[in-house]
Amino acid sequence: MAALVDGYLADLSLTEAADAVAARKVSSLELLKACWANLDKVNAPVNAVIWEEREAAEAAARAADKAVGAGGRLGKLHGVPMAHKDMYYQAGRLATCGSALRKDYRPSVTATVISRMDEAGAYVFAGLNMAEFAQNPTGHNKTYGDCHNPWNLPYITGGSSSGSGASVAARFNYMALGSDTGGSIRLPASACGVTGLKPTQTRVSRYGVMPLSFSHDNVGPLARTARDCARVLTVIAGHDPLDPTSSHEPVPDYERFLDGDLRGTRIGVPTNVFLDGADAPVVAAMEAALKVLEARGATVTRLTLPLMDAVAAYGGIVSRAEAAPIHAEWMRKDPQAYGAHISGRMYPGYALPAAYYIEALSRRGPILRAFAKAVFDTVDVLVTPTIKTCLPTLQETDIDHGPPGTEHKFMAVSANARPFNYLGLPAISVPCGLDPNGCPIGLQIAGRPFGEGRVLKVADAYQRDTAYHAARPPMLDKAGAVA
Amino acid sequence: MAAFESQVESTISRWHGIEPPNDPARRLAAELADTIAAFEALRGTLAFEDEPSSFEAALQAAKEPA
Repeated sequence: MAALVDGYLADLSLTEAADAVAARKVSSLELLKACWANLDKVNAPVNAVIWEEREAAEAAARAADKAVGAGGRLGKLHGVPMAHKDMYYQAGRLATCGSALRKDYRPSVTATVISRMDEAGAYVFAGLNMAEFAQNPTGHNKTYGDCHNPWNLPYITGGSSSGSGASVAARFNYMALGSDTGGSIRLPASACGVTGLKPTQTRVSRYGVMPLSFSHDNVGPLARTARDCARVLTVIAGHDPLDPTSSHEPVPDYERFLDGDLRGTRIGVPTNVFLDGADAPVVAAMEAALKVLEARGATVTRLTLPLMDAVAAYGGIVSRAEAAPIHAEWMRKDPQAYGAHISGRMYPGYALPAAYYIEALSRRGPILRAFAKAVFDTVDVLVTPTIKTCLPTLQETDIDHGPPGTEHKFMAVSANARPFNYLGLPAISVPCGLDPNGCPIGLQIAGRPFGEGRVLKVADAYQRDTAYHAARPPMLDKAGAVA
Repeated sequence: MAAFESQVESTISRWHGIEPPNDPARRLAAELADTIAAFEALRGTLAFEDEPSSFEAALQAAKEPA
């Protein structure tokens, strides 16, 4: 725990912070103030925050510290301040969903994942910027302002969990929940140099979480390390009676998988789709990462993935078809309240034939079975770049103000993430380098259904031998931020 | 306006009462032709013994061994 020894509270990972509170080495209030200090110094240009409740957060921190003093049993996240994508409902608290249409929305229910983290001792101090209704892979936002990458401000943060990635990278948040319908956890994790896990479809309850596509929506963490993600998943996963789609699959303690031993682990690297059009620095970073994993005992196999045309065609319409009815009333009455890239991308969803949508859904199971047999009989995990190109700028992907064709550069950002939403597989993004513009590159590791333990194990093993996850955006030092 | 785009817009208007909100909407609606082409390309190429079957059952069948 070098960071703590040096007094660098904001550089602690989530698990380091929670363990330090439990060991009485640091107070929750000190953690909260370290977050505020960095937020005050760097958030203005980054724009990761939509709202704050400092008084309530300070009261929660003091209560957490009092509980430590009382000597009772503490939860796995006790005393850790957090901020989440602003679409997790907390009864009576603002949940803008990143939209002008919900600028005053205060739900009457609390998301199960928030309740579970509360029970584990965490508390919320802010709501984070996000794509409007979680619908872009870049971080543009017409109402609350674009979110900027802490590593290089003109560049995208990735989306839709833009503020989640940026706040963790900028060291004023130990962990943020994101949501992932087509890459929205993994893309900001990759772009911002943090670790983000999309669990298996049905692994985590979605009750009290703004819906976008009920077949593809997932809830998961963005944090500093794979171990952080493992701890959060252990807390939030598992069946929830309030979300009948959530799985009854037992929940292990995911940190138990993190032993650093990759002997016997078979890694597959797709030779089709995922590297098509990839930029050389991204490919080089992935190849270097593979060498690190091989040095830990893993073997690497190149393989052609089956059924990818079907995954692309079917996956491409499910989210659009499911988002359309959710937004129909607003699209009829107030379409200009949306950014043009949001309403413009939703609009074609209203013309999709029901027969196409049903075909896509009815073949999802058979395709998963066939894909899993062909792939996971040969390898244990798949490794790809999370984003296959060097990061584009906000301007280059600005559909609202850019020339025709901008939407293709915009959609290319999520090309490597979307297949795993249709297939429902768990996938994590870990930082694995910097591109020539100083923006992070992410490594995506995907596994079998309910194989989060193995995915986290590989990610953790990689982070034992590399330091990309611990690197700080240069702006922090220039701004005199708290280390 | 090409016949396809016009047909898409009139279908959406008739069935949902929604008009194209901006130029990106019109451009992206025109790209539904690509969606149709992708579905056409799949016709006759897929055959599964267990079709249809539930996705949740497939998650269980394909899950990580204990």
